[in-house]
Amino acid sequence: MASKVVLIRGKGVLNGDGDIDQKRLLSMYTRGIQALLNQQNPKENLLLLFRRNDKVGIKINTIAGKMLSTRPEVSLSLAKLLSGSGIQEKNIIIWDRTNRELRAAGYHLNIKGSGYAIFGTDTRGVDYNPRLISHLNIGSLFSSIQSDWITSSISLAILKDHGMAGVTAGMKNYFGTIHNPNKYHDFNCDPFVAELFETKLIMRKHKLSILDSLVVQYHRGPSYHARWAEKYEALIFSLDPVAADFVGWQVIEKLRAKKGLPTLKEEDREPTYLKTAEKKGLGKANRNEVKIIEEEA
Amino acid sequence: MKRRQFFKTTGGISLVAGSGLESLLMNLYAFEEKANLSKVEALYYKKHSDREIECLLCPRYCKLGDKERGYCGVRENMGGTYYTLVYGKACSINVDPIEKKPFFHFLPRTNALSIATAGCNVNCKFCQNWEISQVRPEQVEHYDIPPSKVVDLAKKYSCPSIAYTYTEPVVFYEYMYDTSKEARLKRIKNAVVTGGHINPEPLEELTKVVDAIKIDLKAFTQDFYTSYVRGELQPVLDAIKIVHKSNVWLEIVYLVIPTLNDSQNEIQNLCRWIMNEIGPDVPLHFSRFFPMYLMKNLPHTPLSTLEKAYKIALAEGLHYVYLGNIPSHRAESTYCPSCKNKVIQRIGYQIKKIELKEGKCKFCNNPIPGVWT
Ligand code: SF4
Repeated sequence: MASKVVLIRGKGVLNGDGDIDQKRLLSMYTRGIQALLNQQNPKENLLLLFRRNDKVGIKINTIAGKMLSTRPEVSLSLAKLLSGSGIQEKNIIIWDRTNRELRAAGYHLNIKGSGYAIFGTDTRGVDYNPRLISHLNIGSLFSSIQSDWITSSISLAILKDHGMAGVTAGMKNYFGTIHNPNKYHDFNCDPFVAELFETKLIMRKHKLSILDSLVVQYHRGPSYHARWAEKYEALIFSLDPVAADFVGWQVIEKLRAKKGLPTLKEEDREPTYLKTAEKKGLGKANRNEVKIIEEEA
Repeated sequence: MKRRQFFKTTGGISLVAGSGLESLLMNLYAFEEKANLSKVEALYYKKHSDREIECLLCPRYCKLGDKERGYCGVRENMGGTYYTLVYGKACSINVDPIEKKPFFHFLPRTNALSIATAGCNVNCKFCQNWEISQVRPEQVEHYDIPPSKVVDLAKKYSCPSIAYTYTEPVVFYEYMYDTSKEARLKRIKNAVVTGGHINPEPLEELTKVVDAIKIDLKAFTQDFYTSYVRGELQPVLDAIKIVHKSNVWLEIVYLVIPTLNDSQNEIQNLCRWIMNEIGPDVPLHFSRFFPMYLMKNLPHTPLSTLEKAYKIALAEGLHYVYLGNIPSHRAESTYCPSCKNKVIQRIGYQIKKIELKEGKCKFCNNPIPGVWT
């Protein structure tokens, strides 16, 4: 059976200054989740994926600073949808590696115990679980947030070009859950992205991929370069983590072609880890088995 | 090495799935970050357009965009300028016998003030110090010890040398280089313990300020380097040749891992290469492997394997061959290649007897190469 990927365009979700139209964003989410899960009531939709007593981690990406990170509006809107479906606010955590990066991306950290929790692995008392997890070519410590606290995870990643991996999206976002991501950038991150995703701590908890494609860095990523950043105004949803990233890759290739840039393959950085992930049975990474539903919210 | 505080303590809380978030949060007392990293501009890198940089320090040649770190995790591109984050940030500092490094022909029976920062430019699956080598600097406790303070400590603890060791000193090159220069001014020698993954130019510069370099040659095949080290063999061989040509004392260590790099053929090829390129006088240490880190599936090296390697090396003509991690073995001691008498008797890290006079065998006057005073 083909994997479904929903690409929701939201023209005007970013105004001239790049600020987010919250209402428009919310309708993108609602439309995307409805199309993905075929339920009319968005509250019930999310309960197809999560239990009410789940502790849900929203793993965001804040490595590239304010201009190219998962924006607070984007993650908080998703958190609201989750709490609207009955998951307690205090059981929803928006998180990344460091508090410094979260702050730089515009987040107000919250460890109060009420409201959505927002903090990084480097918060004193959190840290990496000291148990070394070894899986094929991976040997890492995992953030306690990923390993010990959350029961379910959403990868809410930024879609970007990546100098080594070719593309960074939902699966590679989980590099931010381990203590040594710098060790997994060889060979275009292949097979490391797939192998990391395959570890029990990620694969068993991952429930949903959402690619924040409001602004897509299609060249010279993963850092922000205005010259090669496109206001794309889309969110990409899939239950298949590989298919979501496969579609993200196609978006990047299209933008590159439009600007006359070589393909990632021509630049020797095709995201081959997607094929590896497909071979491992983690999802689909070929046009014939990925069904894209593209809609305007 | 003293027990290191690798990771922040959790203050006794357990983070258990199913426990409420409140119990976690009650125990979090600050958004503290272990930032306190250095921001000293790195040596050996090239600036490219669009705030990209290329690190030229080691054979990985990491090309990085803004805000990215290299493979070693201790160097960061900040707005198009490359910085070392570990300058003066030692995560481990101890006084060790120099024999522990091991250096057997360099200031025997003395202690070395031994320091390391976090980080490494390879990822050996058998690393014995992975808790400090395979982490980012903010993930370990560290001390603020600028070069002058390292030298002061060496003096305070009567160490005639400073050893840059435990992790991979190449990745804290700037710190090591400046400390070495200061140490020399105070007549303290410098000893480097490295995997040899360094480019020729920085290595040649380094040889101008240090006195001894021990290179860990992890195997003699690229296959092994690809699968178990994540590095390249050739640059290490090149580094050995560069050190040999310099005035710096060189020793080589080869960790013998059962079934992976212990074949007679490989050991023979290694010894022949050393004989051809370096000559018979470089000390070669065969060390016993113990299962650790990501390689717990193999047994420790059988003594018979090590003894075979020892015999091969002697048969190929090497003069100073040692077996490591086997206390009390006769191959821990140094024998004069001319008269065959024992000139330095060792048991573990202890020196029992030195029968040298002005660097020569006391029995036959044959010069024994090394840095003896
Ligand atoms: S020293 Fe570090 S940053 Fe530089 S090339 Fe080597 S691994 Fe990369």
